[in-house]
Order: sequence, then structure tokens, then C-alpha cells
Amino acid sequence: MDFELDLEQKEIVKAAREFAEGEFDPQLAFELEKTHTFPADIRRKACKLGFVGIHFPEEYGGQGYGIMENALIVEEFCRRDSGIGSAVVLSDFSSEVVMRFGSEAQKKAYLPKVASGAYISGGGYTEPDHGSDITFMNTTAVRDGDSYVINGSKTFITNGGIAQFLIVLCQTDENASPPYRGQSTFIVPTDVDGFEAVEIEDKMGLKMTSTAEIYFNNVRIPADALIGEAGKGFYQVLEFFDESRVEIAAQALGIAQGALDRTIAYIKDRSQFGKKIAAFQVNQHKIADMATRVELARLMVYKAAWNYDKGRIDPTLTSMAKMTAGQAAVYVADEAIQMHGGYGYIMENEVERFYRDAKITEIYEGTREIQKNTISSGIVGRYK
Amino acid sequence: MKKIAVLVEHRQGEIREITFEMLGKAHQLAGSDDEVQALFLGDTSQKELVAKVSPHAHTTLAVYDAALKDFEPLRYGSALEAVLSNADCDLLLMGQTAFGMDLAPALAAKMTMPFTSDVVDIEILDGGVKATRQMYSGKVSAAVSLKEAPKRLLTVRAGAFPAEDVPEVSGEVREIAWSVDGDFAVRKFLSYIEAAVGDVDITQADVLVSVGRGIKDADNIPVAQELADALGGVVSCSRPVADKKWLPKERQVGTSGKTVKPRVYIALGISGAFQHQAGMKGAATIIAVNKDPKAPIFSIAHFGIVDDLFKVLPALTEKVRELKG
Amino acid sequence: MDIIVCIKRVPETAEADIVLDAGKKGIDTDGMVFSINEWDNYAVEAAIQLKEAQGGKITVVSAGPEENNEVLRRALAMGADDAIRLTDPAFEGSDAIAMARILAAAIKDIPHDLILTGVQADDDGFGGTGVALAEMLGLPYAALVTDIQLDGDTLTVHRELEGGLEEVTAVKMPALLTIQTGINEPRYVSIMGIRKVAKKEIAEKSAGDLSLSGDDIGVKGSLSQIEGLFFPPVGEGAEIIEGTMDEKAETLVKILKERGGIA
Repeated sequence: MDFELDLEQKEIVKAAREFAEGEFDPQLAFELEKTHTFPADIRRKACKLGFVGIHFPEEYGGQGYGIMENALIVEEFCRRDSGIGSAVVLSDFSSEVVMRFGSEAQKKAYLPKVASGAYISGGGYTEPDHGSDITFMNTTAVRDGDSYVINGSKTFITNGGIAQFLIVLCQTDENASPPYRGQSTFIVPTDVDGFEAVEIEDKMGLKMTSTAEIYFNNVRIPADALIGEAGKGFYQVLEFFDESRVEIAAQALGIAQGALDRTIAYIKDRSQFGKKIAAFQVNQHKIADMATRVELARLMVYKAAWNYDKGRIDPTLTSMAKMTAGQAAVYVADEAIQMHGGYGYIMENEVERFYRDAKITEIYEGTREIQKNTISSGIVGRYK
Repeated sequence: MKKIAVLVEHRQGEIREITFEMLGKAHQLAGSDDEVQALFLGDTSQKELVAKVSPHAHTTLAVYDAALKDFEPLRYGSALEAVLSNADCDLLLMGQTAFGMDLAPALAAKMTMPFTSDVVDIEILDGGVKATRQMYSGKVSAAVSLKEAPKRLLTVRAGAFPAEDVPEVSGEVREIAWSVDGDFAVRKFLSYIEAAVGDVDITQADVLVSVGRGIKDADNIPVAQELADALGGVVSCSRPVADKKWLPKERQVGTSGKTVKPRVYIALGISGAFQHQAGMKGAATIIAVNKDPKAPIFSIAHFGIVDDLFKVLPALTEKVRELKG
Repeated sequence: MDIIVCIKRVPETAEADIVLDAGKKGIDTDGMVFSINEWDNYAVEAAIQLKEAQGGKITVVSAGPEENNEVLRRALAMGADDAIRLTDPAFEGSDAIAMARILAAAIKDIPHDLILTGVQADDDGFGGTGVALAEMLGLPYAALVTDIQLDGDTLTVHRELEGGLEEVTAVKMPALLTIQTGINEPRYVSIMGIRKVAKKEIAEKSAGDLSLSGDDIGVKGSLSQIEGLFFPPVGEGAEIIEGTMDEKAETLVKILKERGGIA
């Protein structure tokens, strides 16, 4: 057993930190946040340096590392800036479905372009009527000769408005029993006829990331856009969630650490009643609680990533990691604002953004409640 | 009796101020029966320069040779060796300048002279030489001693000692013979490039709004420009900002940039390294804004605000605009 | 063109609270972040740019404990080819000239056309090791370099003088240059770079390997000694303006008005 990162991992952390410190400028972040702008330039640079798609195999433009190394980058980027960090690290979202289950041709066509920065990817799973429950899809894909024709809609789709392609989970057999055995995933380019994305502008956080409702109106895609076998979509997506939960957990961890960093700096700087507020025990204890939760989240995120890289699918562990890290992010960011007082409540202060960006990590990629379902069914078993 | 020698620094027909600063310090260190020496290297056309320093030294030792017209450290080093073999000085002072930094360390290595650099104070006690120099970007001072040796070498920080009121002594000038001996073609002076003038001459401005590392990004320069516009001033910067090309080099204040003497100098996010201070300490009023209460800039500023410049700037710009209607 | 770059690992002290160590001859570096000396980073980048244009090989050299591998590996990841760490307890206490002697002993046996160092190090701010090293190796050199152009075996360099003035000087290779900040824009370390050097070994050389005797190095071989460190006396200092942001701005405007700061 070894709790230390290896040499390469430490170097990756340092490289990610130097890049984020050099490029994620607070004033720029403030502007991007206000104007709801995706940090395209920064993402392009991050791609060029190999940060995006670090976990893709080399033959598909990646760096051949595992999701542990990806998690380290996600953590560092989000730690430096929750908004820019999240937008950049989510820019390859769902590409893993292609990587794990796609054909050679699909992998070659899409992954190198995501890693190089030419493409942004996204995943269409959530539907307006179902939320976190993906056992039945209203969106359908019907085989028609050499094509599939997709109809339906999805909501809360990360990168929906800016991605070049989306992985879309569709019902291909409405009579399958249970229904999820009749689901399939497809690669849908966003420039096809009948596809429409409507940006969800007014959301609490993640303002630099596109979140959209997407509509498929007789969208016709070639049959070879199917990923893997028909009927396997549900299983692919569940397996992908095991991986993506770790990434979102790392995002939460980074946000928590970033909020903690700023709070420590603030209380050492700010004076009240004639002394630094770091001298007050109430603040020292708050920091102790915050730091402990961050460390706890880190242990769980790293373990879940490490376990995944060992080739073990363990939804219980990844759900625990995501739940713990999400709670840490929300708790630490909340305390951060509290300790900053009025200054923490205004938009110019970074912790305000961290606070708003933290909350999503308890909601998307499975809400905290869904994580609890997964954890308990893994431990207690399924009781109905 | 001890002898303290100062290497005269000159460029483009002028004696550099550091020379007088060192001569002043040398006199301060010298007792009544001690000797202050000036060492001059140049060509015959520069003889008139010697007249400016020789009154301030008991002895001036000069080498005139066409090969010494422009500063080239290999030739200067060789000539200096010849002078030092005649000079019998105990301690040699050179400037920690573009001139001294290009010469002193090599001379120390070549002649096995105990040496330390960039000193801001010197003490001679019982024949021992102790110097004070700064480390960790001026946050810590170090007391450094030089071991016993026939000759010891220090380079002196520009501005550490006053250049004014250097005592006058009736100095004699002695010429030392030296001729080119060795392959000096391997390094050759070609030309000077004058500082670019640029669109704005910061040395002429009455009010300077100066930005440092704390401005964080080129995108933030306009925020400082707004204040400068409101005040009717000009934006200048410290070295890191020019290094990163966020502002052109000709806007840089400091040793390697411009020396400015505005009525008001507002330092925003500038820590205040000595090289920067050297360029702006002559300002009539210095106002510093920095998050770090320990930033050296506060030791030289007249007024300070310990806060985030991005909070101070908009608030101040707003107030100034209100005032001006 | 074969280039050797000398690099140093230094603590980041610009924004840190400095505490002296027990002996008051050094600082307490516990918990401090270390990185490559800023000037050296520009030197590494300059070497890589020359290599990209000319071909050849870059060797980075650093003297110090195992932690120095960090900066050596970083330089390798940026694009250097080989790394050597000079390490021996006997090196401790070496002043800048003795350090130059150690570097010279290591470098003299490595083929080189050009040696680059930073102008100075962030920690001791000495600014002399590179030039002393050139003297020991018998190489022509130029300090405070802000531009390098290559023409055959001659380097035409700009040296930064005072007051914005620059000097153009020709230096014939093999030569040594000390590199000033701002000469280029050092690249970030890429994941590709880290991957490429993952298996790379860093050679180590001790005083014995370099045939250095105890008289030449360490405290014994150094003609200058740090007797002690202390905090510089604080001057009168600025009058600090307090209050809410609005009050601070108000006070400042008043000062500006009085002092002729508002045209």
C-alpha cells in the first residue's frame, strides 16, 4: 500500500498547476463568467500540451495515462478556477464512450480531434421526463436502410450548444423487456439536419460551460454511427458513469481545495478587532473541518480512480467518492463565503463563483440521492 | 595603511554615477593615513574623463590604449590585472552593474580574490572585510566576510551610497603601461542601441500609474489606463510586466528601464525590488497599493493601501471622475 | 550545436513569510514551494529555441541534493536531452566562485559549443557564477543577454545595460552567456514532455568523480562566508490608509489633489 503519487504523477500535477496558474487569470475568469463565454483559447492551449484526453490511448491522440492522471489534472484546473477549470476538463465529456466501446474507425475519427482541440464532445442521456433515471428513453432511433432516424429531446446537456458531436442514448427497441435492454448509443454530429440546441442561459453556476436542451427532429445518421452493438447502450452508459463519476468527483475535489486555499489566504490577510482573523479559534476550527473534508474527498477520489485503472468496475466506490467530494465542495465553498463575509457574497470574489460551481457536482452525473441508491444497493443488496 | 581602489565606470563619454558612490564610500572607509585609489581604463581620447575623478582619489592609476575604448571584459580584465599588479590595493570596488557583473566574477576567479557581489554596506574591522548584501529579493540581509588575502573584491549596488559630497583630495594621476596581449577577438563590442522612445515618454509625465506583477494579465492594463486617463497621467510598469510584453519596454521604470521623477507615482501591485526603487525613488509622492503588507515598496512609499489593486483601482477611478465632474 | 544549461532549484520566497533557521545562516525552507530559478528557466527556453533552429543536444546540469532532480526533469520535459546532477556533502557551503569551480569540473569533459546560465539566482541574487565559470573554462562570455542571433560560429547578442540602453556584442563560440529574464517566453511543460522523459536516468557525479579536492570546494574552498542572516531594518515606511474601500479611495483622492496628482 502506498499513499504517494508516483514521480510522473507529481510532474503531471506540477505541469497542470503551472499551466493553470499561468493561464487561468482571475480577471479573465470574471469576464468569461459575466458573458457566459467558453474559454476556447485556454482550452486550445491545454489540448496542445496534452492535458485534454490524457487518458486516451496514444494511437488516438491521447497520452496513454489512466483516469487517475486525468483526475489529477481535473483537480488542479478546478482548484485554480472552478469556472475555467470545469469548462476545459468537461470539453472531452463522454468521449470515453467512444474510447471504450467504439469501433476502430469511430475512435480514429473522433478521439484525436477531441484531444487536439478541434472537437468538443458531449453526452445526451438525461431526458426532460426522466432525470437521473435512464432505464427508459423517450428519444428513439429507428433503423431505416443504411441509416437510423432519431427523434426526441434531451435536457441539461453539457456542451450541448458547442460540441461537434454528442453521444446520444436512444431507445432502439421499444418492446424490449426490461426497456433498457432495447437501448443503443450513437455518435451524432451536431451539424446534421434536424438537430437543434437551445442554450440554457440562466443557471446557477458553470456559466462558462454550455448547457443546452437538444432536439432531434428526424435526424438521420448513418448506421455505422451506432456505438458497439444495438441493445447495449444502457450498459455502456452505466459503465461510462462509473468513470465519469470519478472525473466529476475530481472536479468537486478541486473546487473544494480552491475554496479552501482562498479562505486560508484571506483569514491570514484580513484583520478585525485589531488582529488577523486567522487568530480566532472559531476560524481555525472551521479551517480544520474544511481541510479534513478536502483530504477525505481526495483519498476517496484517488482510490476510486486508482481502482478504475486497475480494471475494476466498482459503482459503490465511485459513487462514494463522488458523493463525498461533492459534499466537501458544497460544504467548503459555503464556509468559504461565510468566512469571507460580505466580500465573499459579491461576484468579483472568486469564492462566490466556487460556491455556485460547487453545487452542480452534487446534482449532475447522478444526484447525491442516486449515489446513495447505488451505494446501498452495492452494500445491502437490492430490496424492493 | 590600507588602500581602497575603485574601478571607474564610464560609458558614452560620461563617468557613471556609481563611480562617485563608490569613491564616497571608499573615503568613508579610509582612515587618515589610508589611501583611496581610482583605476581608470580607456583610450587617450577619454583622458578628460580622468580629470573628473582624479580630484576625489589620492592616486589615480590609468591605462590608455585604443583597445580599451569600449568596455570589453576580456581586454578590461587583462588591463586591470596589469594595474592591480601596480596598485597594491587591499580592497577593490566595482559596481554591480552591467559593467561590473560582466567583469568582476571573472577577475575574482582569475586572480583568486575573495569576492562577494551586490553589497549595500561595507565594514573594515582590524583588516577584515565584512559586507552586507541582500538575499531572497531583498527580504533578508546577509553579513558576509571575505577571507584574508592580498586583494579582495566587492561589487557595490548602485544607489547604496550617496554620490554627492565626495571628499576632494589632491590626486595624482599615474599612467600604467599595458598592451594588448592575447586573443581578444573572441568578444567584440559592436554598438549601442538607444532605448526606444515609444509613443509616450514616461520620464516627462507628472503623474505615473505604474503596474507590476500584481496586474496579472495584459487584459488588465486598460483598468490602470482608465485611472491614468482620469488623472491625466501615463501608465508605466515594473520589469515583470515588460518581460511578459504586456507593456513595451520603454514604459519600464527601474535600473534597466527609465528613471522617473514625477510629482506623483502610484505603484500598483509592484513589490518594489531595489532595481525598481532605483528608478522611481525620486518621485515627490509615492503611493503604493499592494496586497502584501511586507512588500518592500511600502518602505519607500509615502502612502500605502494594503489591499487588492483590483478593488482599489475602480473605486479610485470612480472618485477621481466624480471630482472632475 | 551542443548546449549546456546550468540550472538551480530555489525556494519561492516572493510571497512567502521568511523565517531564519536555527543557525541564522540560512532560511527555514520547511513547507516552502521550490521551483527552477526564474532566470534559468529563460536559459533553458533559449537553449531549446537554438536547438530547434540548429539541431544538436542540450545537457542540463544542477548541483544539489536529490530534490534537484525535479528541476532537471522539468528541463528534460521542456526539451533538454540529458541531465547531470552534481552532488556531494562536500559541496555544502560553497560560495558562488567555488560553485563555478564545481560546475567547471563537470562541464569541461562534456562537448559543448555554448553554455547558458541565468544572470542570477532568485535566492542569493549573486549574479556571478556564470561569468566565473566562463573564466575557469577559458571561454569568451557575455552577461545580461536579452537577444541571441547566430551567424556561423559567432553569436551576436544584446546585453542589457542601464536606463534602457542595450549593447550589441559579438561572441565567438564556444562561449558562455548569462541569460536575462524576458529574452523569450518559456514554454509550459507538456504531458508529452513528461511522458518522453519518464524513463530517463539522471547521471550523478560526486566530488571524487570530478577530481575535486576538499580544498577547492565547500567552506574550505570558499573565500567568502555568510556569517549570519538578519532581517533588514524597516524604514519609516508608508502611512497606511485604512477604512472601507470608499474611505480609502476618498483619502487617496484628497492626497492626490494636494500633491498635484490630478491634472
